[in-house]
Amino acid sequence: MKKLLLILAMALTAFSSNAQFTTATLQATGLTCAMCSNAINKALQKVPFVESVKPDIKNSSFGIVFKKDAEVDIDALKDAVEDAGFSVGSLKLTGNFNEVKIAADQHVKIGNENFHFLNVKSQVLNGEQTIAVVDKGFVTEKQFKKYSSATKMSCVQTGKAASCCVKDGIPASARVYHVTI
Amino acid sequence: MINLKRIFFIALILLASSQVKAQIRQGYDAPDIALPAANGDTIRLSSLKGKVVLLDFWASWCGPCRSSNKELTKLYPKYKEKGFEIFAVSIDAGRNNWLKAIRQDKINWLQVNDPGDWNAKIVAQWGLYGIPTSYLIDKDGKFIAMDLRGKQLEKALKDLLED
Repeated sequence: MKKLLLILAMALTAFSSNAQFTTATLQATGLTCAMCSNAINKALQKVPFVESVKPDIKNSSFGIVFKKDAEVDIDALKDAVEDAGFSVGSLKLTGNFNEVKIAADQHVKIGNENFHFLNVKSQVLNGEQTIAVVDKGFVTEKQFKKYSSATKMSCVQTGKAASCCVKDGIPASARVYHVTI
Repeated sequence: MINLKRIFFIALILLASSQVKAQIRQGYDAPDIALPAANGDTIRLSSLKGKVVLLDFWASWCGPCRSSNKELTKLYPKYKEKGFEIFAVSIDAGRNNWLKAIRQDKINWLQVNDPGDWNAKIVAQWGLYGIPTSYLIDKDGKFIAMDLRGKQLEKALKDLLED
């Protein structure tokens, strides 16, 4: 019985580690230059799974490196930015993917999180790939309107699975991140 | 709970700032800074006693700092001969980005670099909350004012250097 559990646990881990996010590019918006504020830098560095934060002039954004093999809590990045008095203008996550099948308006489990891809071609993601979060609060209002119109499912408004993906086996209370490439 | 957290946070900030501002304020001696210039020579802030000095903290990736550089390129030649100097401290982690910005902005005043971006030692030492941050220091090495720009800075320089 123990052995069976172990095998099951291993199989589950293997299944859920089909992608690992390693870095992110975060653009913050606010009344003043976000990169010029030490408050926002400190807030991001305090996030437990963040290894380092670097201002990047080319994209007027922060380059974030995640701790190796750490689980990335995407909402925690947004909360850190908002606690420092700014908001997120764009968040792009880069990671290593292994045979992750995606299609437009489809839910996919990556790691331990649920993702809902919008405006993408059906494809299999392999190797280093970058996805952009388009949930409310991660993009400008205008962009959110554009992306949220790409699906009829209600989860795009709330970020919660609710009833829209029960058939995919996602519990109603689960967080669903809406993303694009 | 959130409110409590926020109050605690504000209290912390106040504590931290009161410690720093105990030293960095009008009439007090400016602490010395010794950092390397592009050619590797160490330049000391204290070596500029006898001049009115604008101590300017900046970085190449800071947009407002770059705009400020443009303003300073007009002001600097006007007052340099009268005893004005700019001691610019870049916190750029990327040395090449720093040097490139110096070329692009046509900077010909004193430039030193404490690499590390927001992790640079000088950030903690001076309690910098943001950049650009600048201090005007008089001929005796005492703080006169903070964050003077444009016309306000020019007025201060006129008062201090023209009689």
